Amino acid sequence: MPLDPIARAAITAALPPDEVVDDPVRTRAYECDGLTGYRVRPEMVLIPRDAAGVARAVAACHRNGVPFVARGAGTGLSGGALPVADGVVISVARLNRVLEVDVENRRAVVEPGVTNLEITAAVARHGLYFAPDPSSQQVCTIGGNVAENSGGAHCLKYGFTTNHVYSCEVVLPDGSLVTLGGDTGEQQGPDLRGVFLGSEGTLGITVSVTVKLLRTPETVRTLLADFPSVAAAGDVVSDIVAAGIVPAAVEMMDTLAIEAAEEAVHAGYTVGTPAALVVELDGPIEQCDSEFAQVKEICDRHGCTRLHIAGSPEERAAIWRGRKAAFAAVGRISPDYFVQDGVVPRTRLAEVLQRIAEMGEEAGLRVANVFHAGDGNLHPLVLYSAAKGETERAEHLSGRIAELCVELGGSLSGEHGIGMDKACSMPTMFGEEDLAVMQRVREAFDPTGISNPGKVLPTPRLCGERPGRYRAHPLEEAGVIERL
Amino acid sequence: MRTLVRPTSLAEARAALLDSAGPVAIAGAGTAATWAGALGPVETELSTTGLSGVLTHNPGDMTVSVRAGTPLRELQAAVREHGQHVSFDAARVEEGATVGGLLATGDAGPSALVHGSLRDLVIGTTTLLSDGAVVRSGGHVIKNVAGFDISKLLHGSYGTLGLLVEVVLRLHPVPAAVGTVAVECDLPEAARLAGELLASQLEPTAVEWLSSGRLLVRIDSTEEALPARLDRVVALVGGTPDPVSGDRRPGDDRRSRGWEEHAALTRGTPGEAVLRIGVKPSLLPGLLARLPVGTVTAGLGTGVATVSVPVGEVAAAHAAVHAAGGTSVLRTRPVSGTAVPAWGPPPSAVAVLRAVKQKFDPDSRFGPGRFDPWEIS
Repeated sequence: MPLDPIARAAITAALPPDEVVDDPVRTRAYECDGLTGYRVRPEMVLIPRDAAGVARAVAACHRNGVPFVARGAGTGLSGGALPVADGVVISVARLNRVLEVDVENRRAVVEPGVTNLEITAAVARHGLYFAPDPSSQQVCTIGGNVAENSGGAHCLKYGFTTNHVYSCEVVLPDGSLVTLGGDTGEQQGPDLRGVFLGSEGTLGITVSVTVKLLRTPETVRTLLADFPSVAAAGDVVSDIVAAGIVPAAVEMMDTLAIEAAEEAVHAGYTVGTPAALVVELDGPIEQCDSEFAQVKEICDRHGCTRLHIAGSPEERAAIWRGRKAAFAAVGRISPDYFVQDGVVPRTRLAEVLQRIAEMGEEAGLRVANVFHAGDGNLHPLVLYSAAKGETERAEHLSGRIAELCVELGGSLSGEHGIGMDKACSMPTMFGEEDLAVMQRVREAFDPTGISNPGKVLPTPRLCGERPGRYRAHPLEEAGVIERL
Repeated sequence: MRTLVRPTSLAEARAALLDSAGPVAIAGAGTAATWAGALGPVETELSTTGLSGVLTHNPGDMTVSVRAGTPLRELQAAVREHGQHVSFDAARVEEGATVGGLLATGDAGPSALVHGSLRDLVIGTTTLLSDGAVVRSGGHVIKNVAGFDISKLLHGSYGTLGLLVEVVLRLHPVPAAVGTVAVECDLPEAARLAGELLASQLEPTAVEWLSSGRLLVRIDSTEEALPARLDRVVALVGGTPDPVSGDRRPGDDRRSRGWEEHAALTRGTPGEAVLRIGVKPSLLPGLLARLPVGTVTAGLGTGVATVSVPVGEVAAAHAAVHAAGGTSVLRTRPVSGTAVPAWGPPPSAVAVLRAVKQKFDPDSRFGPGRFDPWEIS
């Protein structure tokens, strides 16, 4: 259904002409985000210059009942910024200023279009940094990080975006501007900032964010260790945890992922090793040294076949380049691939990998595995060839892997979000009543449902009436109600 | 006539709620009964103390699920056997405060500087709403972005949105060694020293000034590294290592005398009101100097302070904190006397708070008065 001409005129009038794009050639650039398999061309794209412009754009949408989708850099991997056919995209690309750096209080106020890495770049000379570090940090925006509650390799120790945001200024779906959160961890009532973070653009649009900055650690120690099996590498992670050490990061790659990464960036990984671990510790020197000695000893105990300790910042950067290149590098060993994102309790890593291998074999497809081993967040890469007609099979396998994570007590997503990609899988993780209460939250912020509709929560229109995997209601578990 | 119900299961709690009518007060161990707005008239008091016990502890995953009425200190004792704990040290924990109560009141202790409050440690909840709906949010894994994080909404809700039934928390390893440096100094000097500490790379877990005239700096460490790390703190800010109380079991909290004094000071001065305030850390010393404070504990890195003020000064104190861009809430009110305002001016998002309340508790049954004078319901 095309946009009603009156609504189109009203929205156009809300902004200066150079902030409105409705040329079909140019709007096509916004038809998808990082999940490129889904494409919808928006009716219009609005690119306001400031918070007031965002508020005017949203208010115009609200008055005319037009749905809108906020967009940062469009790097999201779950279709969270996928446009709505009869709606508009509101891009925050021009809200890209660092508004304030407050060194004394270790915080910065930034607009949503500032990239993740630009925050650290703006404060690094003060010995400060912004901790969340999603792999796309060079291009992804803080507005997107807020929407997705982004994590990254270092979130095991340092937490997620939600742990590093004091407050957000938000344009609500009716166009009003409010502040969620405050200057400290103290709250004035229920934590609205907390529920807004990670709501994937369904509760409003962030127009400025006050982020917490951390002092850079005194030292960082990074090692790359090879193991004869994924299970042995997993045991190392368990023993590190049991020793009371919280590493800054623990990453694992399997042989296929290593092969791809090494081919792409020659970072010094061992081609052919069944598993490699990257372990990073940081903190005061004495602390880091005593923990690092323990980690090395644990690696040796589990049959480490090669231990490479980064001897310089360049060597450390090389190790991380190999790890971070793994996604894109898979393109070198396969024409096409799907990136999956699921979480299992860490202690079930070996089990989930075994099951993934079996499912891959059954489907006749290869799966490369890269994961944040410390927190059980997996990124299986399902390799396929569209030219050979494997797309549907690969998509199905990828989806099954996410649902397997839920079966094993984990989550459908650790960091990529639900978006539109997994909205229909939500009933595998949550019951009807859980989803209904989440819908109440959505209605409290957005009574008319115009802010990024069709994302996060499943709708019959999107998913059909297909019921999810059966999940016991808490009252059923308690023996109060029965399902016949 | 107030009916007291003490359900021992979600099912009983739900039945009690649906069988009753009128306003309901949710109560845990009662350690924060006087916090926030005074409770209006209620017909039912729903005690969570029967909803107690650890459900699952997965040491390898460092997660634990408990029923919400479990005293946190009991949970700590259970998981400490595995060298783990909830990184949370609010003073009330020692008084028997429940996990659900600590979450609903948004409480936090000195280690919030590094670990945040329970909002940063909760990874899942099961909540019963007043219309009988039961909502699970989050899960049992620390990394999880599926669905709205309803656990966060319950944090700081003071029993006005729903009854927390189960809570899943992230655990951390108990530090192998903990040491505290105490420096005798006044607040301006403490603020200067704290500034140096926080600009350093010594990574203190807590930096608090006490109105008894001492700055406390806590270091969580490995055994091997602790002496050197404490030496470096002393070299930077002076002071001496604070002795550990002798009456604690090894492997227990191992709190120094300074931290026990800190916990005592958060309870305030008899006859005065206690306020919890939060403001940008750089503004805190100046703000405290302007307020007629009695006892003070001041988090110089977090900007969060607990202070006592004369009852008649509470309204002016709220106004002063608000003027500094901060937040304030009443924690202890005198037993009798004139009404004391619990909160300062409402936040800009008060309309959203009202809308959430209306969606979660359409008949306004839970916790009447807790957010007065904001007229949330």
